[in-house]
Amino acid sequence: MTIASRLHGLFPAALPIINKKMRKIRIFGLALKNLRRKLIRTFVLLLLVAVVTGTLLSATIFIIGMKNALRIGTYRLGADVLVVPEKHESQAKAALLSGEPTSFYMDRDVYDAIEHVEGVKKASVQLFIKPTSFTCCYNVETFLVAFDPATDFTVTPWLQKKLVKPLADDEVIAGSSLPVLTDDIIPFFGVPFTVAGTMEPTGMKFFDQSVFMTMEAAYGMAEKSQARAIQPLELEKGKISAVLVQVAEGFTPERVAIRIEHAIEGVKAIASDEVTSTVRRQLAGLLRGILIISVILWILALLMTGFAFYMIVNERQRELGLLRAMGATKAHVFRLIITEAVILSFAGGIAGILAGGGLLSVSQAAVIHSLRLPYLLPSLPVLAELISGALLFAVVTGLLASLLPAVFASSMEPYDAIRKGE
Amino acid sequence: MIEVSDIVKSYMIDGQALHAVNHASFTVRKGEIVSIIGHSGSGKTTLLSLIGGLTRPDSGSVLCDGTDIWRLDDNSRSHFRNRNMSFIYQFASLIPTLTALENILLPTAFGDFSGDVRAYAEALIERVGLKEKIRAYPSHLSGGQQRRIAIARAFINRPSVVLADEPTGDLDEETEQDIIRLFQEMNRELETTFIIVTHTREIAAQAARQLRMSNGILTDAA
Ligand SMILES: Nc1ncnc2c1ncn2[C@@H]1O[C@H](COP(=O)(O)OP(=O)(O)O)[C@@H](O)[C@H]1O
Ligand SMILES: [Mg+2]
Repeated sequence: MTIASRLHGLFPAALPIINKKMRKIRIFGLALKNLRRKLIRTFVLLLLVAVVTGTLLSATIFIIGMKNALRIGTYRLGADVLVVPEKHESQAKAALLSGEPTSFYMDRDVYDAIEHVEGVKKASVQLFIKPTSFTCCYNVETFLVAFDPATDFTVTPWLQKKLVKPLADDEVIAGSSLPVLTDDIIPFFGVPFTVAGTMEPTGMKFFDQSVFMTMEAAYGMAEKSQARAIQPLELEKGKISAVLVQVAEGFTPERVAIRIEHAIEGVKAIASDEVTSTVRRQLAGLLRGILIISVILWILALLMTGFAFYMIVNERQRELGLLRAMGATKAHVFRLIITEAVILSFAGGIAGILAGGGLLSVSQAAVIHSLRLPYLLPSLPVLAELISGALLFAVVTGLLASLLPAVFASSMEPYDAIRKGE
Repeated sequence: MIEVSDIVKSYMIDGQALHAVNHASFTVRKGEIVSIIGHSGSGKTTLLSLIGGLTRPDSGSVLCDGTDIWRLDDNSRSHFRNRNMSFIYQFASLIPTLTALENILLPTAFGDFSGDVRAYAEALIERVGLKEKIRAYPSHLSGGQQRRIAIARAFINRPSVVLADEPTGDLDEETEQDIIRLFQEMNRELETTFIIVTHTREIAAQAARQLRMSNGILTDAA
C-alpha cells in the first residue's frame, strides 16, 4: 500500500461528527497527572493543608462545643445562685457542670435564713443523693435529686408533660437520657418507685441523667432502706444539700451571693456566672493558644505551598512554554497551575476534615473528664457550615499560595520560557 | 503563505545591542519546503520564534495566510497558533506524564476541535510507524521514537505551516532521513508549508529552497 493511498483514508474531506465518548485531554486531567509526577512532594503538601485544616476545624468545633456547654450550664439551670456547704463547693460545681453524682448535706436552717436575705426572690431546697452502684439496674450513671414541688422552679419546667396529680412519695421523674418509660418501676436503696413522668432533654448531664423525687420521698426512702438495702442510705430527716435561689429584679447574682455568704455561716453561694467563670478563663487561654498556633501554621502552610508552586512552575518552564507554542493561552496556563493547587488543597482539606473529626471524637472523653464540662457538638447545620467552611478555607489557601506562581507562569513569553527551561 | 518583512529582534547584552535577527525579509509560498542553514548562534531559533509568534519582534511584520500575527492580541495569537501552526524541536518536547497518544492529542486541549480527533491521532501515530507504542510513556521511547511522536503531534491540528528547529538534531543518519522523508510526504499530501532550520548541509539540500542565516542576516543560499 502506497503512502498516498494510506493518506487518503487518513485525511478525509469530511470528518465524522463529534464523538461524545471521545477522550479529549483536559486541563483538569493534565493538572491531575502533573500532581502525580512528584508524589512525595504532592503528598507532603497535601499533608500540610490537611494538618492546617484539621487543626482549625477541630479547634473551632471544640470551642463552639465548650461555649454551648457553658451557655447551657448557666441558663438552663434556671437558678441564679446555688447555696451549698462551704466544704463541698468543688463537688457541687462538678455536679452541675458534668453531672457527676455526689452527696453532701447541711441543715435546713440555711433555707430559712436565705429566704430573709435581701434580693432573694425565690428559694427552693434540693437533696443530692449518690446511689450505690448495685442499687441501680441501668448502665447509665444515675444521680438522685430530691426537690420540693411546692417551691421548685428548676425541675418542673423541664417536665415533658404536666403531671396530672402531684408527685407522690413513691413516684419519680426520670431525666431524658434514662432508658425508662412512664409507669416503669425502678428501685433505689431497695425501695421501688414508679416513673410518673419524664423530662425534656436539657443538654445538661446533671438534669438528663438524674431521677427526681420529692424531699419526703427521699427521707422515706432513707428510712426504709435501713431495713431493706444491703447498703442503706444514711440521711437524717430535715437535711438538705443545696438551696437554689432566684434573685429579684435589680439584683445581680454576685451581689446576692455575697449577701448570703455574709448572712449565713459555713455556706458557699455560687453565682451562676461563677460556676463557669473558671472554665471560661481556661477556655480563653486555650482559645488564644489555638488561635496563635493556627495562624502560625496557616502562614507556614501558605509560604511552603507557595514556594512549592514556585518550584513547580520553575522546573516546568519549558513545558509551559511548549504548551503556549501549541496554542495554550495565558489563561490556560494560569488555570493549569491553579487547578493543580485546588485539587491538592481540596484533597488536603478533605483529609484534614476527616482527621480532625476523628481526633475530636477520640478526644471527647478526655476533654469531658479533664475539664469537667459537658461537651456539646454544634448542631448539624452549624457542623455542616463549619465543614464546608473548612473546605473553602483549604481551597482558598491553595489558591492564594499558587496565585503568584500562576501569574508568573502565565506571563512568561513563550520563547523565553522554552529557552530558560534548558 | 508566510510573508516576513524587515523583521528585527535584538537583545541587550552587557549594554550592547545584539541583533539576533537583523532586518530579515522573505516569503514562503503555500506548500513550499524552505530550509534555513546557519551556524549556531546565528539567529535561526529566534527567527522561527518570531514567525511562530513566540517572541515579539522589535520591528517588522509576519503575515501568515494574510494574518499579521503580531497585530493580534496574545489570546488571538495563541488561538492562531493552535489552529494554523506547529513546532517541532530538536529537544525532547513530549510531556512525560502523558502517553504517546495523549501527547499527540495535547494541542486539542487548547481549542475547539471538531471531529473525532482521537481517531485522527491514532491514524497519525500509525502514520509515523509507532502504532504499537500508542500507550507508551515518553520514558519508554527512544529519542527517535519520541521525535516521531512529536511530529505526529505537530499534525493533529492540520497546520498550514510547520516550523521545525533542527528536528533531526541528535538523531542518527538513518532516522534523520526517515524524518525528512516523512516531512516530504506530509508536504505532498497535505500541502503543508515547512520551514526547517538545520545546520546540516545534506538536510538543507533536500529542501526546495535554501536560505542562509549568518549573524542575524538572512540571505538566499543559492
Ligand atoms: N532571550 C535571549 N536573551 C539574550 N540573548 C539571546 C536570547 N535569545 C537569543 N539570544 C542570542 O541571540 C543569538 C541568536 O540565538 P539563536 O536564535 O538561538 O541562534 P541559533 O538558533 O541560530 O543557534 C545568540 O547569540 C543568542 O545568544
Ligand atoms: Mg537554535
